[in-house]
Amino acid sequence: MKTETDTALRHVSALRRIAASILMLAGLIVGGTAQAVISGTTGVNFDLTAKEGYVSMGDGATVYIWGYALDGGNVQLPGPTLIVTEGETITVTLHNDLAEAVSITFPGQTDVTTTGADSEGYLAGEAAATGGEVTYTFTATRPGTYQYHSGSNVGLQIEMGLSGALIIKPNAMNQAYNHPSTAFHQEYLFFLQELDPHIHTAVEAGLTPNLAERRAQYWLINGRSGPDTFFDDNIPWLPTQPYGAMARTHPNETVLMRVVGAGLDVHSFHTHGANFRVLARDGRMRETIPGVSGADAGLSDFTLTVAPGQTYDATWSWRGEDLGWDIFGHAPGDPCEPSGEECDPASPIYDHGKAIPVWLPEQQFLTFGGFWSGSPFLGQEGALPVGEGGLNLDGGYFYMWHSHIEAELVNFDIAPGGMMTMMIVEAPGVPIP
Amino acid sequence: MKRVYGMAIRMVLASLALMFATGAGADVFVQCPGDTDGDGVIDDFTDPEYLAHPNAVCMSITGGDGFINMADTTVTGGARGRQLYMFGFADVTGVPPLDVIDVGTTAAEFPAPSIVVNEGEELYLTLTNVGMAYRPDLDDPHTVHWHGYADAAPVFDGLPDVSISVHMGGSLTYYYQVRGPGTYMYHCHVEATEHMQMGMLGQLYVKAAQDQLADGTNLNGFIHHDGYQYAYNDGDGSTYYDVDFPIQMSSMDPEFHDASEATQPLPFALMNDTYAMLNGRGYPESINTAELANTENGVVSQQQNALVEANAGEKVLLRISNLSITEYFTLMSPQIPMRVVGVGASQLRGTGGADLSYKTNSVNVGGGQSFDAILDTDDVAPGTYFLYTTNLNFLSNNTEERGGIMTEIVIHP
Ligand SMILES: [Cu+2]
Ligand SMILES: [Cu+2]
Repeated sequence: MKTETDTALRHVSALRRIAASILMLAGLIVGGTAQAVISGTTGVNFDLTAKEGYVSMGDGATVYIWGYALDGGNVQLPGPTLIVTEGETITVTLHNDLAEAVSITFPGQTDVTTTGADSEGYLAGEAAATGGEVTYTFTATRPGTYQYHSGSNVGLQIEMGLSGALIIKPNAMNQAYNHPSTAFHQEYLFFLQELDPHIHTAVEAGLTPNLAERRAQYWLINGRSGPDTFFDDNIPWLPTQPYGAMARTHPNETVLMRVVGAGLDVHSFHTHGANFRVLARDGRMRETIPGVSGADAGLSDFTLTVAPGQTYDATWSWRGEDLGWDIFGHAPGDPCEPSGEECDPASPIYDHGKAIPVWLPEQQFLTFGGFWSGSPFLGQEGALPVGEGGLNLDGGYFYMWHSHIEAELVNFDIAPGGMMTMMIVEAPGVPIP
Repeated sequence: MKRVYGMAIRMVLASLALMFATGAGADVFVQCPGDTDGDGVIDDFTDPEYLAHPNAVCMSITGGDGFINMADTTVTGGARGRQLYMFGFADVTGVPPLDVIDVGTTAAEFPAPSIVVNEGEELYLTLTNVGMAYRPDLDDPHTVHWHGYADAAPVFDGLPDVSISVHMGGSLTYYYQVRGPGTYMYHCHVEATEHMQMGMLGQLYVKAAQDQLADGTNLNGFIHHDGYQYAYNDGDGSTYYDVDFPIQMSSMDPEFHDASEATQPLPFALMNDTYAMLNGRGYPESINTAELANTENGVVSQQQNALVEANAGEKVLLRISNLSITEYFTLMSPQIPMRVVGVGASQLRGTGGADLSYKTNSVNVGGGQSFDAILDTDDVAPGTYFLYTTNLNFLSNNTEERGGIMTEIVIHP
């Protein structure tokens, strides 16, 4: 049982944390370096160690985890994103610093050979407790988005954090699969999981938790809960959670979203701004004619329900189409800036010179979001009251991508937080690193 | 308890009235082309603004608080079940601007007033924040999020973090050029976990432009006639329907609502929805076609029901959505199969036009998902059939058995 004082303290720490976050965000998001590529580790030989450590939640709480570390470094949540290329032979060596046997299974990889296992394990050959080692080898046969996770004491070890993403790229550049229907401009990973801190506390104390009583209280994208998802990759104060989840694109470009259901619960992931279209599930294109048609049989939807263990690849594109007003705020005679597209009737963002048909209320009747530029127009800034906005210096259009089970938009008892991040549509010409 | 609330509410109403009467706080401002008196109804069809926007349609809603009752009447023993405090929207289209605050206060509806528009229209949707009269400590803003609106711009997307939201006493008119047909939904996005749990959600769907084709138009061999309706612009009549029914699933945690009413800390971590509903009602109220008034202030706050009725041989479009913020629901039509023709306000077609529609008896609907499913009653004998969730623990109204997400499909001869 928590006392009221505990709750009050949590509130204070969360508020401090959010205040600090906003200050830091100004530097890190706005001038930031949110990558258009997926952070991870490339190569063919990977050296992972299962070990214990701590992660930080969006409300400031610290949670004990087990996770995979790369090259003997920090434990991390999720495990290192392994990025490989189709056709390569991949070797993963697992060392075990934990006090129970661990392993790795690679769902979707068909020819995994295990060498040096200390025990047979449940879903994969194991590295023995405290110092064991095992090596897995497979050929990265089929491009796609996959996950890897422990095959030992799975209910508990997945909850504790022993999982990660495996991305197999085709030989073609900027395509998810070997078909032009899967081409993209930017790609982002959305590794969805949740955790119940009571289980982690029990494990740290050496107790045996009751998994049947599991009830998640933190909901994560790429190992972080909101608002930490907004921060860059590799920020120094989250050393065990190196992956951010902010995403960026431009109008009419195509984003590849690689979504992994990595926890023990189902999640409904809603994309504000536009529908996505599914390209593939579990690394297999949705095709009407296998091997020929490309990804032509995927659904368009605004919410993706992802079950544990599933992966989805989908494309998403914001076109600013047919809104009935000029998103650049031009008057009829204005030049066609910034891209020229808005004066071309063939372009989706064609609405040149049309004003927004309604007045926006005076400031005294409005509350302003931190990511509101002060202007309804793309790439522009508007007047804001002192202390409002400030996190959107390029005038981008921000869209929240989040769990539409809104009970998951909290960090323990503190809202908002949880499984949320932002997709930013930047004005044409704004560089995306 | 009730008396104290009653006193408090009167004081708040008095102070609100005073505040707005002196012009200090209120600016109800309904924007609608061709509306000369600000009530959200187009009355001058020669107005230049209207002539510039001849496809305009207008709606005026308020965001505030109110009450509903659950369907567990065998538990309460009264005409209505357990009363829940809620936040919600109310329809004030046609109400003069000076009366909007008065009419909208403590008048929240569940689900929110339905928004039904035609492709090609321009929707001017005005939201006025009337405040939460039973929670004078709160000064929360509200928004409308048209869930699924393609290519939304943040200014009209209703996400407070990235946009603007409207304070108590103010109005914000959202403008939408209405495009893709299909089943959407809408909700407030301010403090979404709280405001959605509290009830700020409703139905929104767009009817296809193909409905308006000239009589006799040949759609790839399918001849269109006046009055024919389609879920999508299918080009071949494959999504034709005779009647449509929105079926929105939702759920509420009574402890959360009671905590809110009593100004207690909100149990986010312990949130546990035990009233599951269709169109704002648990069974058997889901099949009661009467509009229902709440037991607190008599406002008719549950106007919708979920009874599905058709004549044998008709095609029935179910516009299924889920806005529960805690639950996934599988919705089952055990006797009459459903042909799913759309999800996420998109026809089930591949990028090359392949038909991806399918027949099923059940759909799994996550939070924020929608399905367009057509019941073909050609071979169905007249009678009463069921539509319910196979998450059978939700066939209850909290502690009352035989309730929750269940309704009837009545096929007339
Ligand atoms: Cu609200
Ligand atoms: Cu939504």
